[in-house]
Parts: sequence; C-alpha cells; structure tokens
Amino acid sequence: MITGYRNNSRGVGVRSYQLILPSVVCSTHLARKVADQVGAISFAHQHGCGIIGPDVSGVNEFFVALAGHPNVQSTVVLGLGCETLQGNEVTDSITKDYPETEYVVIQESAGMAGALDSSIATAKSLQGDPERAPLNALVIGIEGSPNPELLQQITEDIQGAGHSVVLANRYKESSRNFGDLVRAKCHLILSFPDPLQPPSGYPLIPVITIANADSPLHLALVQEFDCHSNVNRKDLFQKILDVANGEPSKSEAKKIGDIVVPRMVRSV
Amino acid sequence: MNRDSQLTGFERTNGRWGFRNYILILPLHNALNQLVDEVRTSHPASPIITSVSHDWSGEVDTDWERIRRVFSGFAVNPNVGATIIVGIGTEDEESIVNAARSRRNMPINYLTLKDAGGFEKLQERIFQSVSEIFPSISQTVRTPAPWSALVLGLECGGSDAYSGITANPALGVASDKFVELGATSILAETMEILGAEHLLAARAKSPEIGQAIIDVVARYERSITYEGIDIRGAQPSRGNIEGGLTTLEEKSLGAAKKAGNAPFTGVLDYAHLPTEPGLYFMDTPGHDIEQLTGFAAADVNITVFTTGRGTPTGSAVIPTIKVATNTEMALSLPDLIDLNAGTIADGTETVAEVGDRIFKEIIEVANGKLSAAEVGGHREFNLSRLYGSTQ
Repeated sequence: MITGYRNNSRGVGVRSYQLILPSVVCSTHLARKVADQVGAISFAHQHGCGIIGPDVSGVNEFFVALAGHPNVQSTVVLGLGCETLQGNEVTDSITKDYPETEYVVIQESAGMAGALDSSIATAKSLQGDPERAPLNALVIGIEGSPNPELLQQITEDIQGAGHSVVLANRYKESSRNFGDLVRAKCHLILSFPDPLQPPSGYPLIPVITIANADSPLHLALVQEFDCHSNVNRKDLFQKILDVANGEPSKSEAKKIGDIVVPRMVRSV
Repeated sequence: MNRDSQLTGFERTNGRWGFRNYILILPLHNALNQLVDEVRTSHPASPIITSVSHDWSGEVDTDWERIRRVFSGFAVNPNVGATIIVGIGTEDEESIVNAARSRRNMPINYLTLKDAGGFEKLQERIFQSVSEIFPSISQTVRTPAPWSALVLGLECGGSDAYSGITANPALGVASDKFVELGATSILAETMEILGAEHLLAARAKSPEIGQAIIDVVARYERSITYEGIDIRGAQPSRGNIEGGLTTLEEKSLGAAKKAGNAPFTGVLDYAHLPTEPGLYFMDTPGHDIEQLTGFAAADVNITVFTTGRGTPTGSAVIPTIKVATNTEMALSLPDLIDLNAGTIADGTETVAEVGDRIFKEIIEVANGKLSAAEVGGHREFNLSRLYGSTQ
C-alpha cells in the first residue's frame, strides 16, 4: 500500500515538488535563487538559446516532460525574453495539460531584483499543502546494468503487485538514462550504475542505487549506495515501498545528481 | 594620450596576467555539482571562491578533445590563483588534470570521490583544500601590469537594431585603442560574422590570415548545412527580429563593428590561445555562454558584452562588462547594465566619447571594480558540444 500526493493535473506522485524551470541558460541563476528561497527544485543548464532544428522542439518537449511529471505539484517557468525557445511558448505547451503553471520573464520585470521578487510571489501563490492519496500503480524505472537474475526477480515482484516497469539503458551514464525515465513518467528509479559511474540521483525522482560487485569504484563508495550488489528480491522490493512511501533514498537525502537536458545538434 | 599602462594585476608563471585572484572549484561530473556549490557558499573564503555547474557525466565521444580543452583551459584561466579539480577518479579526468598542469604551473589539487570514499568525505577534503590554499591567495597583491596583460573578449547577445550603430562601434573604438597599445582583443561568434567575413578578411595582416577568416565561415556554414538546416531560417533569432534586425547579414555587419578597425593578427579555433598581442577572430558559436566559456579557456581576462535586449549572464572566471545599446533598456533593467551606449542614438554623446568611457571602464574593472554580472553572482558555464557535426 502506497500513500502518495495528489499533484493536481499531474496525477498522484510519490513526492510533491514545485519546479522552477529556467527556459534558457540566462535565467538559470535566477531560478536557483528563487528555488532556494521558496523550497522548490531547480537546475542549471545551458540550453534554450542558439539551438536549431530538432533541438528546438526536443528541448521544449523535455521541459514539458519535467514540468508535467507526477512528482511535480506546480511549475514556474522563468525566461529571459529574447531567447530562441520563447518562455511564453514553453509555458503554453505545459499549461495545455498542466494548468498549475506560471511564467515570469526577466526583460519585462525591471531587472533581476524585480524578477526575483515577482518570481518568489508567483511561486508562493502556486504552493499549498498537497492532499495525500493512495497510489496503486507505481511506474518504476530501472536504469543501467542490473544482474539479469535480480532484474527478472524484481520485475516479477513489481508487476505482481500491480505496478509497472520501464527499462532505460541507452547510455553508460545514469544521468542520461534518467532523462528517458522522466519522459516515461516514472515515480521512482532503481539505478544500477555502470562500474565507472558513481551512484547518483535525480532532483524530481527518488533514485535507489544498487552497487556493482565488480566495480572498485562502487566498492570504495559502498556506503553511498542504498543496496549492495547481493541484495535479495524481498529486501529490494521492501526498499521500493519504503522510498515510495516517503523514506528518502541516499542520493535524495544528499541531493546528489542533476538534470541533463538531451541535445541532438550543435549550438549556433 | 598617456601611453603608460594604468593596469594592475596578478602576474602568472606562464607570462599571463590575472585581474582577479580566484580559488576555482571545478567539478568534472554532474553528480558533484551540488556538493561543490555547497563548499563555495559555506566556506569563510566564499567571496574569492568561484565554481561552475554543468551536465557532463564523463561521456567520451567525438567531442572529447573539445571537452578536455575547455575544462583544462578553464582551470588555468589567469584570473584564477589556484584550482581544485573534483572528479570521480577516472583516467579521462587525469588527462584533463594533466593538460591543465602542462599549461600553467600553479596550485592545482585533484580530489576524487573514489579516494575520499564518500560524498561527505569528499566535501570535507575540498573544504580543507580551500582552507590550505586561502592564506597564500589572499596575501597575493596586485602589481603594475603592462597593456599586454589585457586579453579582451568582445561579445554581443540579444542584439537589436541599435547594436551596430551605438554599443558595437563604441566598443570597437575601445578595442582599437587597446590593440594599438599592445593588448590582445578577440572577436568571436562565427555565425555573427557570416555575411561580413569579406570585410574582416580585407583587414587581415596577411593573405593567409584573410583566407583563414573566409574558411572558418565556410566551414561553419557547411557544418550547419550538414545538419540539414538553413541557418538563415533560424537567424536572426526571434528576439533580434523583435529588436528590429531584419537579416543575418545586417546582424553580422553590426556585430563585426565590435572589433573596430584594427588589422587581424590571427584566427583561433574554439578555446585556443592567442600567442602574441593583437586582434584575433575566434571560431565560436554565437551562443553567449558557449562563447564566454571558450574565451575563459583561452586566457581571456576581461569581456565586454554589448546587449540590446538586456541579459544578466556572466562567467565564473571573467569579469563581464555589459554595455546597453539603447537608453530605454538601460533604464528598465538597471541591475544588468554597466554602461549605456544608447546616448549615441539619443544624440547626447558621440561614438568616440562612449568608446572612451568603455576604455576607462575596462581599466577600472580590470583593477578591481566589480561588474554588474559579478555583483549579481553570475557564473554561467557551457560545455560546447558539436555532436558529431562536420566541424
């Protein structure tokens, strides 16, 4: 039995975060300041301007996926004003399905001090105590290179309990696979990092990390993982339930990991 | 004009000069962004610590040489007195650290998650490393610097119809003065000389340099065409068009004015170093932060950034001076702007007069005055990627 949060139009999530989404690199610094002051999530990125071709729609779609994630309660989009990917259009494409979304633009806010004040006021106006709600069908992402036997067992257990599994292993780097899992609206992620990659998390999604026994790096960092490589199916499934019910995973407690925005083509 | 240098700075062992003396903490994996940021903000030495965040997680692909060049060059920018490179503990990271050490003999500590055995322990080691370095950095004093100490980056972003007649030509006046006095000045943004390259090539010191300018633009246009995109359909950007610019060529003719009338001494690849004083062109994207990061990795120590629409961004290691192209924007976004060149269009100042103000402001900022972007704490960073395109 899992108790989550009713995140309005975004559905029921296992967390309830407000996202301060900079729609361009030029507003990332402001977004971080706003997020720190209102207790929200934000991230630094280098995109939104000087992008062409498939990246214009691709970056926009990724922003919509972040802003519409079930663990997100509301979103404030922060734009600069003159960028390629216009913040008001990003906002429109989010608002279509997720109405708890607002937009602030620096160039029309009398400078950074003004933009900071209006962003904070806007963010606070969207906040509120989220209602608790039962979550009967979790979507669980599994990332990286799990041992096949454990993968099969845990998949059986997850599906047997009425939940579903999404696999992501296009990349060696966990932080890039997480991008695929945010698009799939995973509530929670099991991460089996590559032997050369550290345990890592994701700001919007709790990530449970499982060490690889053949990795000297993982052995050196073993207390940073939620589970050892020899974890049994029962303990791992219990861990999923605990984290889904609110227990912070290790990477979540330490705020390890960042959001990577996928790109296809060079900047102009 | 008094030709004696009015600059003061920090002389580095490789002959470069810094106008700031930062302790830089440079994470080499996105899992380390947050803990590095926490050290920067919580350490007592915070005012002289700088750091960046980025989304690289160690992937080595067709962009690897570019990535290594940017990280290693950024680590040894002359405005940095000491650098702590923080990694996971991989051979690729070591290769970046070695490249940095080979460029400049300076304190470079390399701390890894693997050696530390955990995130908190790594954070403690970074904190301790800053504490150990801090006394020597804080005791270093400025000394008189020659004009050649200045490596000036020229940048524009959020351009409008005023850019080419106010701020850019005024910056060109300042750039010409510094070049004439023996400093280095770098124009960049290949997209933003597209259509004006023949005019710049005609100012090259040799036919070979002129041809190199033409070739860089042709190579750029091929690399974009390879992606199946006509650049003229994507540029000028929508912000530029709203600012009154009509075509890419118009934007380019205005953008090139930042480089004044001095002859071109050379053409540089992205993040490559100028070797002797003079005016250069560097092949960078027009993306403001990719350009700024490429400058930082190429020992640029002051940047002047002209803007029509108004933009807040800055570099973690380069003081960045914002010059407004129009008075309306300068007044409406006061905490983003250092100087207003809109007075030229207002008819209250000449291009030469504003050029002189920019010249003086560069000297003051070099000597320690904080730019608006520094006051605002701006440290935007961009790891430039080509994603396998032809260039």
